[in-house]
Parts: sequence; C-alpha cells; structure tokens
Amino acid sequence: MRFDENRLPYREVPGDLNVADPDLIAVIAGERHLLFDGAMGTMLQRAGLAAGELPELLCLSDPQSVTAIHRAYVEAGSEVVTANTFGANARKLGAAAPVDAVFEAAIACARAAGPRWVAADIGPLGALLRPLGTLSFDEAYDLFAEEVRAAERHGADLILIETMADLLEAKAAVLAAKECTRLPIFVTMTFGEDGRTFLGTTPEAAAIALPALGAEVVGINCSLGPAEVAPFAERMLEVSPVPVMVQANAGLPRDEGGVTVYDIAADPYADAVERMVEHGVAVVGGCCGTDPSYIAALRAKIAGRTPLARAVAPCFAVTSAQNVVVLPAGSRNVAVIGERINPTGKPRLKDALRSGDMDYVLGQAIEQAEQGADLLDVNLGLPEIDEPALIARAVETIQGACPLPLVIDSSDLEAVEAGVRAYAGKPMVNSVNAKDESLASVLPLVRHYGCAVVGLTLDERGIPATAEERFALAEKIVRAAEAAGVPREDVVIDCLVMTASTNQAQVVEILRAVSMVKERLGVRTVLGVSNVSFGLPQRPVLNATFLAAAFGAGLDMPILNPASPRYRDAVAAWRVLNAQDGESRQFIERYASRQDPYEAPRATDGSGGKEARGAASAKGHSGAADPFDVRALVISGRRGEVPAAVEAALDDAEDPLDVMNGMLIPALDEVGDRFEEGTFFLPQLMASAEAAKVGFDLVKERLRAQADGVDGASAAKGALCLATVKGDIHDIGKNIVKMLLENYGYRIYDLGRDVAPEEVLRCVREHGVRLVGLSALMTTTVPAMRDTIDLLRREAPETKVFVGGAVLTQEYADQIGADAYAKDAAAAARIAERFLVERA
Amino acid sequence: MDSCRHVDIALPPHTLSARIDRAEMLRYLGYAGQEITGELAERIGRIAQTCEDALAPRGTARCFSVVPVPGAPDVAPAIDLAGTTVRLRGKSAFLHLKDARFCAVLACTLGAESERRLRALAATDPLGATLFDAACSAYVEAGTAALEAEVRARAERAGYAINWRFSPGYGDLPLNVQPDLLAALDAARGLGITCTSSNMLVPSKSVTAFVGLFDTAPASADAPHPCSLCRLREACSLRARGVTCRGAGEGAL
Repeated sequence: MRFDENRLPYREVPGDLNVADPDLIAVIAGERHLLFDGAMGTMLQRAGLAAGELPELLCLSDPQSVTAIHRAYVEAGSEVVTANTFGANARKLGAAAPVDAVFEAAIACARAAGPRWVAADIGPLGALLRPLGTLSFDEAYDLFAEEVRAAERHGADLILIETMADLLEAKAAVLAAKECTRLPIFVTMTFGEDGRTFLGTTPEAAAIALPALGAEVVGINCSLGPAEVAPFAERMLEVSPVPVMVQANAGLPRDEGGVTVYDIAADPYADAVERMVEHGVAVVGGCCGTDPSYIAALRAKIAGRTPLARAVAPCFAVTSAQNVVVLPAGSRNVAVIGERINPTGKPRLKDALRSGDMDYVLGQAIEQAEQGADLLDVNLGLPEIDEPALIARAVETIQGACPLPLVIDSSDLEAVEAGVRAYAGKPMVNSVNAKDESLASVLPLVRHYGCAVVGLTLDERGIPATAEERFALAEKIVRAAEAAGVPREDVVIDCLVMTASTNQAQVVEILRAVSMVKERLGVRTVLGVSNVSFGLPQRPVLNATFLAAAFGAGLDMPILNPASPRYRDAVAAWRVLNAQDGESRQFIERYASRQDPYEAPRATDGSGGKEARGAASAKGHSGAADPFDVRALVISGRRGEVPAAVEAALDDAEDPLDVMNGMLIPALDEVGDRFEEGTFFLPQLMASAEAAKVGFDLVKERLRAQADGVDGASAAKGALCLATVKGDIHDIGKNIVKMLLENYGYRIYDLGRDVAPEEVLRCVREHGVRLVGLSALMTTTVPAMRDTIDLLRREAPETKVFVGGAVLTQEYADQIGADAYAKDAAAAARIAERFLVERA
Repeated sequence: MDSCRHVDIALPPHTLSARIDRAEMLRYLGYAGQEITGELAERIGRIAQTCEDALAPRGTARCFSVVPVPGAPDVAPAIDLAGTTVRLRGKSAFLHLKDARFCAVLACTLGAESERRLRALAATDPLGATLFDAACSAYVEAGTAALEAEVRARAERAGYAINWRFSPGYGDLPLNVQPDLLAALDAARGLGITCTSSNMLVPSKSVTAFVGLFDTAPASADAPHPCSLCRLREACSLRARGVTCRGAGEGAL
C-alpha cells in the first residue's frame, strides 16, 4: 500500500504545511491576493531559444539570462517567481541533465532575482496516461515525485502544477507533492473554447477534485485570453472551497508575419483580470504572451485590495474526469448509482472477471450510462481473484471510455486504495461502517484521497432493528468522519435495506431512519433498493414502490439496476415531483408519446421465440433466402433475423452442438473463404461474425440449460491469448481477430494493447493457454513481438505463437520465430483450428 | 533570409473544416468493389455521420527555414529546420526539401474524444469500432488536407509553390522525429497531441506532416505513386488487389 498513516498524517492537517510566513498562510486562507509572474517561454524565445529546445537547461548553461528574466518580473511586482522547471522531469530531460541539478540551478536563478517567494514549476510530462496513452499512473507519480522532492530540497516555497489537461496526471502530481513534500500546492489546468481540457475535464471537475485531494489553490492557466477564461473562473469560484488562481494568455494567438503573436496588450489584460478579481479570483499572473509590463499593470489593480470573501455552500459532489455529480445544499435532487458491476449472482460477470475480460466490464458500464445511471458502483469481490489488481484495471478501463463518476465498492482496504488512487476525479468509497475498526482504517484513506464515503449503519452488534438505533450509528459515523478530517458533506449514509419477506416490520423503520439521518445530520443517503423484494414475486413492482417511498423519505442516491424500466419510470417521475427536471422537460420528452404499460398492448413487436417465425419472414428482404436458413442469414450478416432461425433450428436439432457445428461454423467458414477470395470485404466478414455470435449465444444458452451450468461450448474448443505488443497502441486488428475467434467458440484472454512480454507469459501460465496471437502495427514495435516470442520460447516452450499486423509478412514472421503468420482474421481462425482443434 | 520573400505561415491551433470522404473510408476498410447490402451501407453511413457530428479535426502549422545537411559516405543526409530542434534524417526527406526555401510543418488531430469513443466501441461493438476507426482515419486525413490547403494558399500568396505532403515513417524518415516535430509546433499545449516512448502519436488519430516551399514549381510538386514510398507495400492486401489506400494515382500514401 502506498498510503502509510504513520508516514503521512502531517499533510492531513490543514496548516501543518511547512509554511511559516503569515502572508503565505493568508494567501492559502483566501485572505490575501498573490501576484505571480508572466511567461518564461515567451521571454526565452524572444531571446532566441529554439522551438523544441529544453529551456530548463539554460538554468545550467546561462543562469544569468534566466535570472534577468526573473528579475524583470520581480521589478514589475511579481511576489512569486516561477522557477524555470516546467519540463524538468526525467522523461523530458533524458540524458541532458539530472532532474535534481536542474531544480537546484533553476531555484537558485529564481532566488537570485530577489522575489518574495519561489514556486517550483511542474508541467505535464508530455505523454498521455493509460488507458488512452501508455504511461502508467505509477510512472507518472514517480516522475513527479522526483521533481517535487528536488524542489523542496533546494528551497522552493511552493509547488505550482500547471498547464494540466489531464485530471489524472494532475492528480499524480498533486499526490506526489502531498506525499513527498510539505510545500503548499497550487494547481492550474488549461481549457479550450468549449470549456473543457483536451481530455474533457471541466472547470467544476477540476475545482472539486483537486482541492479534495489536497491542493491549496486551484485555477486556470494558459488556455485563452482573460476574457475567454473569465467564465471558466466564474464556474470554479462557484464550487471551489479553496482560493482560485488565473494565469491567462495575452489573448488569442494570431499569425502576424509568420510569427505567433497575442492580441491583448498589458492594460486591457489587467482590466479583464481585474473583473475576475472583483468576482473572487485571488491569485493572478500571466501565461503565454505576457511579459513584465502585464505584471506591472496587474500589480496596480490588486494593490491595497483583499480578496472577495467567498462562501461556497458545502454540498455533496463527486466527479470523474469529465462528469460532475453535485447534489446542491438544500435541493432534493437525486442521483442514480448503477449496481450491475458486482459479480454476486451474475455468472457472466464472474466469468469475465476470472478471465480478465475488461471489455465486458466496460460494456456493462457503458450500458448503464446509456440507461441513465449517474454514478457506477464497481464491486469486483470474488474469492479467488487478486481484487486490488483487478479493481485497478477495471477503474483504468472504465474511466478511459465511460464518463460516469465511480463508487469503489470493496471490503478489502487494499482494493479500495488501488481503485481510488489512480482514479481521475473524486470518487466515492463504499463503504465504512460504525465498527471502530472500520472507522479507524477506512476514514484516513478516504481523507487522504479526498473521496466521498458511504457509511453503513451497522456495528459490532450487527444491523439494528429500529430507526433510532440506525440513526445513532449514522451519527457515530459522521462524527468519526469529521474527526478524521472528512467533511460531513462527503458522508453518505446507507440505512441498509432489509428484505420485506423476512423483516417486514423493518421496512418503514428504514424509511424513518433515512428521514432522521437526512434531517438531523444533514447528510446525504443511499440505499440498495432491490434488497427489499428478495423472495417475493414481481420484484420490480415492489422495488419501484419502495424506491418511490424512499425518495419521499429523503433518499438521495438509490443503488439499482438502471436496466429496469420500472426504476427508470420512478426516477423520472420523482425528478418531476422534486423539481429536479426543470419544467418537466425531460419527462415530457420521454413520456408524452408513450403508451401506459397497464393498458392492453396494441401490438407486440415479435422478438424471439416461435411467434417470431411469421414476423421474420414478413420483413421480406428482397431476394432474401429462407428466413430459417441459418447459414444464409449468417453469410448475409442479418443479425436481427438470426435468433428466430436459430431457435427453430435448436428446437429441431437433437444436440444443440449440431446447430453450431452444422450451420454456424460452416457459414463462418464460407464467409472466410469469400473474404479470402475478395468477394467479401472486412465489414462483411465482421457483420457475419456478429450474426453468428447471436446464434452461438443461443446455442450456449441451451447447452447451459442442458448441462446444468457447464459452459460446454467454449470449453470444447480451447483457449488462446491475444495481445497487441509492448509499445504498440493500435489494436483494431487484434480486436477483429478476437471477435472472429470468439465466434468460432474459442475462449479468448484479451490482454489489450501495449502488453509487456511478462504479461503474456503470466496469462499463458495462469490459464494454461497453448496458443498466443500477437499483433503489431508498426515496424518499430516488431522487436517487442520478437521479445515476447523469445520469452515464451524460454519459459513456456510448448506454447505456439502466431503473429499478424500491417507490417508483417510470412518472411518477417519466420525471422522472429513465430509458428504461424496470420495475414488477416480469417487466416487467424484457420491457425487456431490447426493448433487447437486438430491437435486436441 | 532577408532576401527571401516574406512568408506568413503561423497558423495557430484552430478547427478545420473537413468532411469524411466516404470512398476513402471504404478503402481503409479494404473495399474493392464488393456488393454492399443495404443494412451494412446504412451502418457505414451512420457511423461516418456520428464521427463528423461528434468530432472535429483541429490543426496548427508553422513555417521554418530549411538547412540542408549533406551526407557523408557513412552518414545519411538530413534537413534541419532553423530555430527548432528538428532534424529530418534520411534520403527521402532530404530529396523532398533540399531545394526548398522553407518547410511548413503541420499537425492535425481528432482529439482525445476520438480515442475515448474508439475504446468504448472496441469493448462493445467490434464492427462499429472497425467502421469508426476507418471513419476517423479518413476524417483526420481530410483535416490534414484542409490544413495543407490553407498552407498552400498562404504560400502561393507569397509567391511560393509547395510540393506534396510528407510524413514521418515515409521512405527512410524515422518515426523518432515525432517528438521534435510536435515540440516545434508546441502541439502538446496547442492540440493535446503527445507521443509515446515508441514514437506513436496519442490521440492515435493524429497526423504530423510537412511540405516544402519553393521559388518555382518543384519537380516533386505532385505526389509519387502512393505505394512507392510506403513501408507496408510488400504486405499490403490492397496493393495485391491493384488498389491503394489513397485511391489510384492521387494523394500521397
């Protein structure tokens, strides 16, 4: 575990920073303005620095010039000068100079100019983090940690983390500064005209997540001119509990005679910044295109002023990198937590987790987002898995493609930390309870990572029966949270739903407890709604009724399956009644033309089952084959018509496997041949594979029903592991192969892209895989393919390897020692057949 | 330098007006005249539309003086771009730019949202992901072409002719020039384009390229046969079928 209570408590106490200067303390408290400097890069380029040269090296080679720039800013009135260390990380400096030496020189250059304070400048690493890029969170953290340690060692007064576009990268930097130094942390992000960073973060998300994590000041730099930045600053001011900082560019860049110039002069710049100061911005300076004249103009504007006193009403807020879920103080707004990423009672998810199939987990996330969830609960608790590793992988995968804030749900503290640490945003932790041991272990972690937390009203004696007793436990949790530094608004109480079939009397007690907690403690509440109906018929009816009652009692965040239309109806209706759905607009849009489900249905749209026979043939594709000719339907990729045909075939067949081996597989083979000879192109091959998949799923269902849960179909054909090799991020080819092979009935362990050789070996060993498929797009990553093959040859010599990818040829495949070359997905299917089926 | 005509090409990051060339998107998918059913055609059209609705290519360009660095018996020639750390190594780039007065460097990207959508589709809809990937490739290519057109218009206004668009990875120009090209354009800050340690651009739907600016129309004004410089030509299934990923006889690679 990275988080060590014994090592870290000092940064947990506000004011226990290494700041003695009362003026800097006043800045952090929002009671004093602070004037930074302007651009360094602009000044250096004016002095002849080449684009792409490392400006940080000038601190070593030409310290006088650097100091001269700092001095000009000090003379113009900068209280803080920013040391020339923006890109002084080991990744960018490479062999040019050691990080520590650059920080030492840069801070000395800054200090020599005689400023009141020196900020160590920490810019982005220049590489995108996983999963969109290839840099891991830990690598990013280590790079930042090296920088901030050097900054503190050489006497910087504060850390300025700036020009961040990725909230996750900013978080790595803030955590490094918080865990490795005692310096105050100022952090600014850069936004585009659309009010988002390149990675989609909004000013609100930044201003909620970064202070929660421990930033003393949060803000905006670079981006645009002050006029364009002003509305973003306004948005930060509305939610930020800490002082807000702005260092804008000198307007928008413009092409003038082949040179980029900025279009706002010093005085209008200062005027525009002054308006932001009037609205509450406390810390100011400049970015690209600004020079000492801008700082002099700003100095005149803030001289003799104190920052506007701001009061941000505390409220529940969590974020992802893109989305913010806020329940404003005093509002009755509700937010829905999707519950489906939880293996309890879900064999398909269990199977996906055991085989590391993150695509399935991500699919569940995306579906729930489409069904209206606002947050997602992520619970991966299975006895035989490495939960911390799996939860880290799941969080990384989900946050790369699904924008909903996450609730990290585990009883394993290490898994919770693995989930929240590399999470891009402010997550919620599920859960702490009123047991002393739980409070003592969970709350410090919640505080350290700046999370919200679910508190369960149970203790050493179990779940109490009455509302009063539940309330008492909730009160205990809230008190303990506040004592641990977790503010009340970040605590969400779960009064724990009991089943009506066994504890009928308790249901109304639970609702009463919700009301009491809400009214007397002023905290938000959460309930796992569907628990109420276990063991009773028509569960959705009970669930939806209970949900409506719970909303009335004050429930803020139901945990439920958003696929249920009854739940969705109750939520949509409640959002009219609680005035969250302004002017009932969304309700009207969604329900105005909808039929009352209790009225007799006018028509069915005949999906599945034997009734569909007529419907399928009535669709009447011109020149269509017999609608029950499975083979023809698969070949022509008519996914929608496959279920009826396959069901019919299954009904007629003695063994479901006959449908698979006699119809679906031959159809795919035929498609493969057509692809081979060029009469089909790739999308047609894939459309057929999609259609076949629908059929395979039905066959498997039958097999499962017959064999009582044994998944005979995929077990029969063998397993293989697929990976796009280390350094390569182009995985579209690998994904196509995966799809086709899955449809042939193989079990696929998909390791994703940028996969280290050791990962492949681990998978081979763990799952006893005999065939590995590797892909690489670029010539530059083919060596990684060779490394992977070499490792497998040494450590698992019985494993066969086939390779594919744009630059590969049979000759190349032979050179690197592969057993086979797959020039396309159809070829991969034949290779799998050769190695896995014929030998079996 | 002073004797050169003034050339004002410094296009700050901006949104490019471009549309997906549907035929090009199909070519990326390996299309060679097969009969496409209505259902698939509709899906392809829908994905292209989604791509255009959800994403917009953004680009930036800057112009630098060209400094040829002749080769030696064991050293390949190169081109340096003045005022930057860019050195374009190898014969192909040397031939492309040695007679040029200036070199305009271009970068174009579909942004992180393209990457996010590709991830989401890859997990949930493999065919959709494949179609979207091809749509994005065609879109970023169209964006780059639009950016090139802006550069061309400015160059011509100043009396220069440009040659065809060259990118790292063509011919013998190594990919490891990517970080310097991005730095010369400040493309990480301006467009959010970064580079992995294996020199791949992220977002992956990003392009860097350059053109030469010449006093008179250069011999290399028109692109060579699209396959002649391509490293994938031996393995290319399109080429085996007599088509190219850029259409026959036009464009560059």
